[in-house]
Amino acid sequence: MLNFIIRRGLLSLLILFLAVSLLFGMIHLVPGDPATTMLGPRATPELKAELSQRMGLDQPLPVQLGRFYAGLARGDLGVDPFSDRKVTVIVWEQLPYTLILVLAAIGGASLLGIPLGCFSAIRRNSLLDRLTAVMSVAFIAIPSFVVALYLLLWLAVKWRWFPAMGAGEAGNYSDQAYHLVLPAIALGLGWVGYIARLVRASMLEVMEENHIRTARAFGLPERTIIAHYALRIALLPTVTILGLGIGTMLSGALFAEIVFSRPGIGKLLYEAVLNRNYPIVMGAVLVTTGFFVLSTLVSDIINAMLDPRLRERQGMGN
Amino acid sequence: MGLATGGISRKSWAVHGNTLHIRNYQDLSSLDSVSSLSAADGIISAAINQNLLKFRSNGTWDTRFDAAESFEQIDATHYRFRLKPGQLFSKGYGEMTADDVKFSFERMVDPAMNAINRPDMGPLSHVEVHDRYSGTFVLHTPYAAFIPVAVAGPTGEILSRDAVTAVGGRFTTDPPCGSGPYLFKSWQAQRKTVLERSPLWTGRPAAFEKIHVYAMPDPKTAEMAFEAGELDCARISVETVAPFKKDMPLDSSIRVLPSGRNYWLGLNQENPALADIRIRRAIQYAVDVEAVVEAAWFGLAKVSSGPIPEGMTGHRDSALIPPRGNPEKAKALLAEAGVTLPLRLRLDVNNDALELTSVQVMQWSLRKVGIEVEIHAQDNSTFLTIGREDLGDQWRDVQLFMQSFTGLADPYYSLTWFTSDQLGLWNWERFSNEEFDRLNDLALATTNEAERSRMYQRMQDLMEESGCYRFVTNSVMPQIYRNTIEPAFRADGYAMLRDIRPADRRR
Repeated sequence: MLNFIIRRGLLSLLILFLAVSLLFGMIHLVPGDPATTMLGPRATPELKAELSQRMGLDQPLPVQLGRFYAGLARGDLGVDPFSDRKVTVIVWEQLPYTLILVLAAIGGASLLGIPLGCFSAIRRNSLLDRLTAVMSVAFIAIPSFVVALYLLLWLAVKWRWFPAMGAGEAGNYSDQAYHLVLPAIALGLGWVGYIARLVRASMLEVMEENHIRTARAFGLPERTIIAHYALRIALLPTVTILGLGIGTMLSGALFAEIVFSRPGIGKLLYEAVLNRNYPIVMGAVLVTTGFFVLSTLVSDIINAMLDPRLRERQGMGN
Repeated sequence: MGLATGGISRKSWAVHGNTLHIRNYQDLSSLDSVSSLSAADGIISAAINQNLLKFRSNGTWDTRFDAAESFEQIDATHYRFRLKPGQLFSKGYGEMTADDVKFSFERMVDPAMNAINRPDMGPLSHVEVHDRYSGTFVLHTPYAAFIPVAVAGPTGEILSRDAVTAVGGRFTTDPPCGSGPYLFKSWQAQRKTVLERSPLWTGRPAAFEKIHVYAMPDPKTAEMAFEAGELDCARISVETVAPFKKDMPLDSSIRVLPSGRNYWLGLNQENPALADIRIRRAIQYAVDVEAVVEAAWFGLAKVSSGPIPEGMTGHRDSALIPPRGNPEKAKALLAEAGVTLPLRLRLDVNNDALELTSVQVMQWSLRKVGIEVEIHAQDNSTFLTIGREDLGDQWRDVQLFMQSFTGLADPYYSLTWFTSDQLGLWNWERFSNEEFDRLNDLALATTNEAERSRMYQRMQDLMEESGCYRFVTNSVMPQIYRNTIEPAFRADGYAMLRDIRPADRRR
């Protein structure tokens, strides 16, 4: 198992290196000048030169990339040239808001989607199954930002059940949780349908397999068969998808952060790209890419732990 | 309602009590005058710091005394001030003195500081301190914008020498102290800045115990937050004014204020397709500016006569080209220039809903005279580079573009970007006129208002006569607010936090 984790870990580092390097090149190829954007007419040639030097933009791209990785090795992502604050501080300030939002969204989606998919498979072609099918497709089809806007309009603006903006008062956890409800629903609703469809399909496939028939022949209760034998296997593809889902949501959280005026890494990145604030862009990209790679790594490891066949294929043994 | 909200009090997120909740259009970048970047910073710093003079909140650029007890111009290059005694900096930094004024202004022009806002100080040389409370500003040359831009603007905020020195000479989002009616309490990135009433303030007491200033770049989010009752005051987009007026949020009002943002259609006279002035004049006459303003600003803004807005020295009553243009004259000019129609041109624009609507109406106007325009929308950062010479040759391909720019409290700031030394920097029209350049220098050194006004009017005439500009509007800034407050706005529509007060509901 350790061997597997080390090999997958190294592969993840390589993926991270390639993705970040590629993004570094792409960001710098987009036309735009941070000094002009941020300083406007006050961007005198002297100031522009000074800012370019501070951001390292006066150096060739490979040198800039080398400096970025050298800094990264020291845990230093540079300084935001406009606020003079450390990029690591700025990024770490925002990251928890996005992580909590993503975990709440994916957690809520799993809590709803897995039982729904499971019941649909067990009660195949029943009214519940058909209803779940229709709802799932509808949830998947409606764009998340539309959900966000309607939730905001109805539940916050019209009925005032939930707050319309912000992330709650610092230190007041119940207030923060309250502010999380609408953005998490908006971000996770599509995933409820997706997970439900996936679990249903997996369950139907697993329920036809020989070991389930054998379990039934042994007279095990249906509930035990479903919970201990079928669902465990049926959840394998879901775990993989959840891993990808967390990564996707990290970047997709942007719309929820904008609509609900929440702080977060998505909004930070969006504004930094618009302003060509390269140090912030790179810091935020590194963190989101890192978490994407990490979440897929974790899902692979969980899969390997749940499925002995996978461990054997990877030559890990027990 | 049976919603389980734990220990959450509704008033924790609803407008309540003695706290003002207000939107800022972007997050804080710096509260230090050497590095503050935008009006979003100035809105907050103006509440926690004092200037010698401050703008009034009566819709004009008139000033009133703030930290100063007296302020007078001695001659063209000397201004004398005297501070009110007993004004204290917070955190134990003591009384404000003339030496703090000297420190605050001289650090702006100190080359070692490389202050972003250095140009606002103009030809300031130094400050002579006479005694604890009085001193004299000494300028190298006359500078007519000294009071409105350098003294009353954000760059003229007075900081404590001891406090700033103690934090290493500069700061950004953590001001070491303040002297205004409000004190800086906290800043949470991308969320809000919290100010609280200063117990040290000796002027008219601050109206609110706290002010929460929310960083909300998206106006739509702010509009919904206002409707949800979470904001007391918010700048809204022009397209929302009519729907709000039709179905006004409870106990609210809207004010459509003038804005200092000037919009115009620029024509690059060095592009071969526009080298003939008759073609440029034809374009000026073809564009129906009234239709543009009606469509993009929903009729809320006025057609402008030039970059200098109404109420400012140098404003012209009308432009040389009529707002509706003259399509027949445009066609005649094109024919005279021997242009084969359709004439195909490119129009660059910032990817912004308001500006895109504007250029689409321009496209329609121009099509009527045989000019086919292809619109190229770009994100702001990319757009801001199209006319820059130092970034390559792309400026040569620029033909038409819609541009906008926010001025300050003095007309020089609206026109100085079109001089010859701005070619390839901000002067993308490549407009170059000796008389214009001379008047730009003269007007800045002239203190006679009538004379200055005539110079700036002439400069705008020259711009228009060159065929390089079709002025569109000076825009508007709509603000919505609860009737529970008495809002206060600067002449360019920005909120003045220190002057906002609870409304007297007995009236």
